Amino acid sequence: MKRIGAVVAAVLIALSVLSACSSNNKESSAQADPSKGSSGKVVNLTFWGGVPAEAGPQEIVDTWNKEHPDIQVTYVRYVNDDSGNLKLDTAITSGQNVDLFANYTKPLLEKRASSGSALDLSQFTDYNIDEKMGPSAKEWAVDDKYYAMPTKRNIHFVWLNKDALDEAGLPVPTDWTLADVEKYAKALQTDSRWGYSTFPFYRDIVPFDGSLAVQGYVKEDGTSNLGAPIVAEALKLHYDMMHTSKVSPPISLIETTKMNMIAEFLSNKLAMMNAGEWVFRDANNIQDYPRDFTVAFAPLPRITEEQDDFRSLGGLGDAIAINAKSKYKEEAWEFLKWYADEGMLPQASGGRIPASKDADQDKAMELLLGDLKDKYDVESLERVLSNELPTFQATLPQEVMDIRSDEFDKYYINAQSLEDTIKNVVKRHNDFMKRH
Amino acid sequence: MLLILLGELHMKLNWMRRQQLVGYMFIAPNMIGVSCFIIIPALFSIILAFTNWEFPRLSADFVGMTNFSRLFQDEVFYQSLKNTLIFLGSVPISVGLGFLVAIVLNKSVYLKNMLRTMFFLPYITTGIAIAFVWMLIFQPVDGPVNTLLKSMGIVHPPGWLSSTSSAIFVFDIIWIWFLLGYNVIIYLAALQEVPSELLEASKIDGARRMHTIRYIIWPLVSPSTLFLLMTGFITSIKQMGIFQAITDGGPGDSTTVLSLFIYKTAFRYYDMGYASAISVILLLIIIVITAIQWFAQKKWVHYS
Amino acid sequence: MRKLILTVIMFLFALLMIYPFLWMISTSFKQPFEVFQYPFQWISDHPTLKYHENVWTGPASFVTYYLNSLKVSIISTVGAVFFAAVAAYGFSRIEFKGRETLFLIYLVAMMVPNQIIFVPKFILFNAMGIYNTHMALILPGVFTVLGVFMLRQFFIAVPKDISESAMLDGAGHMSIFLRIMLPMAKPSLATFAIIDFSWHWNDFENALIFLLDERLYTVSLGLQNFVLENSVDYNGMMAAATAGMIPMIIVFLFGQKFIVEGLASSAVKG
Repeated sequence: MKRIGAVVAAVLIALSVLSACSSNNKESSAQADPSKGSSGKVVNLTFWGGVPAEAGPQEIVDTWNKEHPDIQVTYVRYVNDDSGNLKLDTAITSGQNVDLFANYTKPLLEKRASSGSALDLSQFTDYNIDEKMGPSAKEWAVDDKYYAMPTKRNIHFVWLNKDALDEAGLPVPTDWTLADVEKYAKALQTDSRWGYSTFPFYRDIVPFDGSLAVQGYVKEDGTSNLGAPIVAEALKLHYDMMHTSKVSPPISLIETTKMNMIAEFLSNKLAMMNAGEWVFRDANNIQDYPRDFTVAFAPLPRITEEQDDFRSLGGLGDAIAINAKSKYKEEAWEFLKWYADEGMLPQASGGRIPASKDADQDKAMELLLGDLKDKYDVESLERVLSNELPTFQATLPQEVMDIRSDEFDKYYINAQSLEDTIKNVVKRHNDFMKRH
Repeated sequence: MLLILLGELHMKLNWMRRQQLVGYMFIAPNMIGVSCFIIIPALFSIILAFTNWEFPRLSADFVGMTNFSRLFQDEVFYQSLKNTLIFLGSVPISVGLGFLVAIVLNKSVYLKNMLRTMFFLPYITTGIAIAFVWMLIFQPVDGPVNTLLKSMGIVHPPGWLSSTSSAIFVFDIIWIWFLLGYNVIIYLAALQEVPSELLEASKIDGARRMHTIRYIIWPLVSPSTLFLLMTGFITSIKQMGIFQAITDGGPGDSTTVLSLFIYKTAFRYYDMGYASAISVILLLIIIVITAIQWFAQKKWVHYS
Repeated sequence: MRKLILTVIMFLFALLMIYPFLWMISTSFKQPFEVFQYPFQWISDHPTLKYHENVWTGPASFVTYYLNSLKVSIISTVGAVFFAAVAAYGFSRIEFKGRETLFLIYLVAMMVPNQIIFVPKFILFNAMGIYNTHMALILPGVFTVLGVFMLRQFFIAVPKDISESAMLDGAGHMSIFLRIMLPMAKPSLATFAIIDFSWHWNDFENALIFLLDERLYTVSLGLQNFVLENSVDYNGMMAAATAGMIPMIIVFLFGQKFIVEGLASSAVKG
């Protein structure tokens, strides 16, 4: 095996130096005008994130810019999908102005850390991420080091149409299993309303992932553990809800109509929705999604009564990294600390609750509920928010996640049996591990 | 005598050499651009096919044929190859349909301009919005297609995009629709070169008209047919956007075509080496398909 | 009578062709909750102009994207038609050594999948300093292989005797190209221009990778703004896509006139 790394690296470095020069020029000419009058040098930072600017980020950078005339931050929104991430990564490698960027999945952060795009944050000693963000922060560490700071709490729970529950005489559940879910769903199902469904991307992460996070995705002998009994059990229960009791819309329908689960739920066409905090943005937008019912909240269901290693999907999200090639790392770090402790608050109305213990949680709650306090069952919300259940975070590589949802889909649409599904998933996962 | 002859020969050679030079000069500007922006980048990615480069890392190892041997054991590859071939079936259908529509639109209708515009419209529209509409049209439960089929007495219409066996055919239908306007306009342009008395269809009776179309017009536009088939196959094989927008390869991998497979491998998994290897194979497939058409053209294409 | 019947048949067929567009336009006047309603209603119960207003005057107005798209598409198309016509003339009208081989290389170049040359192209543009500028779309845009192929096929069909007699009169290739070929090939040039314009107008992939600055965005890229974090603003997207079709339709109607004129002139010639 010959090493051409040096050649490729040399070419790439030469190119990035070249482009760094040209972007230098661009920057200084752009800066020439505003800095003419003032004596101090103005630092311009660019912050890339996946949240649409008008949903909070613009307000955040405006607030910061007002307080810090010498460090001006511009927000750039990228769409958090394949092409959007590609765009971000090409921008970083080419030495374009990316100073801070948000990461939404661990595998992508790992790629960016190993390629030298993300700065190792341990060089800054004035902010203890573990202490501020709690034990879940560790799930974002790459090789025990932080290349990004997780900033928001991931909170997953089941959204309930409380008016429908009341009509059926059902209490708001505080601890339940998938069998209970099905029972509830049957009672809540009407001609115009589905009983229960999960948010589309969320179907990738199935309740068994909590167990596997404990048991490990890989067995001791180095082969895939995706054949564990709990996997088949969870799939079967979901399948039955789609095809036997028919309380859930089948995946084929969700996919072919790009069914907007949130809109379904908010327009009373779906009684219970397994989703998370991100629904708040639309739930708070009663102009576009008018509703007259109250929303209550329940924790995620366990698969079976016996599942003792159940973990609730959760942890932290929005891991913000500093570009290792940024010219203004110190300034970017200042912004990042401020963002995590107070800056990000305006996004709370969209469900982004700060993870930092020094953030104003009451204010966040107030923003989260807005003027709609009477439209939420606050008691049950506080219950799921203060849920002390152990959590886990999805960490499988993207390719394995895709293999899984490919094969699961085939089972859900009756294109292959459950046994074959498990067999294929295990085989393809093993093949994947052999290569990596 | 000999001198004069030599002189003439010399002049002729000179003229030919000048002709050569002029020829090169005519193609040079485009050639340089195409080399810079297509050929050289393509050569670069052929080299990558023999490495394990992962974007955005800065180094890579030569791994020989590893990527290719992996490819030949990859079930997704064979599935995508099959899907790609099924998808290509839409090209000749759309070209044939395009010819018939162009013949009619050229002379035999009123409101010519309006009709032409309507036919061409699909070709000029922006992707994602219209992709979404197609999804709604083929919605298996209440979508207009299945509502129509049910009203015609078909109790179990296909699940279209929701079923692994029919999903790829939805793309064939969309693609026939999309390419049709393009085929029509190319044929219309070609028909302008056909003497108009041949096209005055209304003056000729039915049987003779069919004869004229089949044995006179069809051969006359055969260079365009060759062009449409060749470019149709090429653009279809490279097409990725509609798959990404509508199903992203699903359900399962029933609509994963080679180009989408490449895109995902390269830009979702950042596995550039493997993606390049798939591209090399894809390129070979296109070259073979095109070469067959190019060399078979002598049999049926007539240049004036 | 036959003509009338054919017209009706073709009209019905054409309606089928534009059915998805009617659907799209109809959705752009609807409310979000009506998007998924079946059976499909052509006219909304709660029609709104909100989404169309947003496209033009909203905070995320499309006017800039529009102007960018026009700039990129017009310059690219003019350049592409010129360069392709010159090369197509070379490939169809001038005999020179290696012509067939070069043309085959061209055909192979046309087959290179776009996805795989993104990264090398990106590195190249970066080095040239045109990454994140409109030049990154225009420069590669003016060199088309398909255009050369298309025009070559058209040029081959033009009778040789005209240019040969001009050549005997001592005209060079350049003047034959400019004074005889281009005017005669007007319908084909118009055809290619229309098609090429639509490629540039709809180009999404290149714009996505090579443009960072939102002020440089084109219409097809701007449609991404309607992809929200957890959902898609279909009404807004349909309104913007409807607006995005207008220039293409104008170009087509305008270009079509040349095709028809070409028809008239070839009739005179014949």
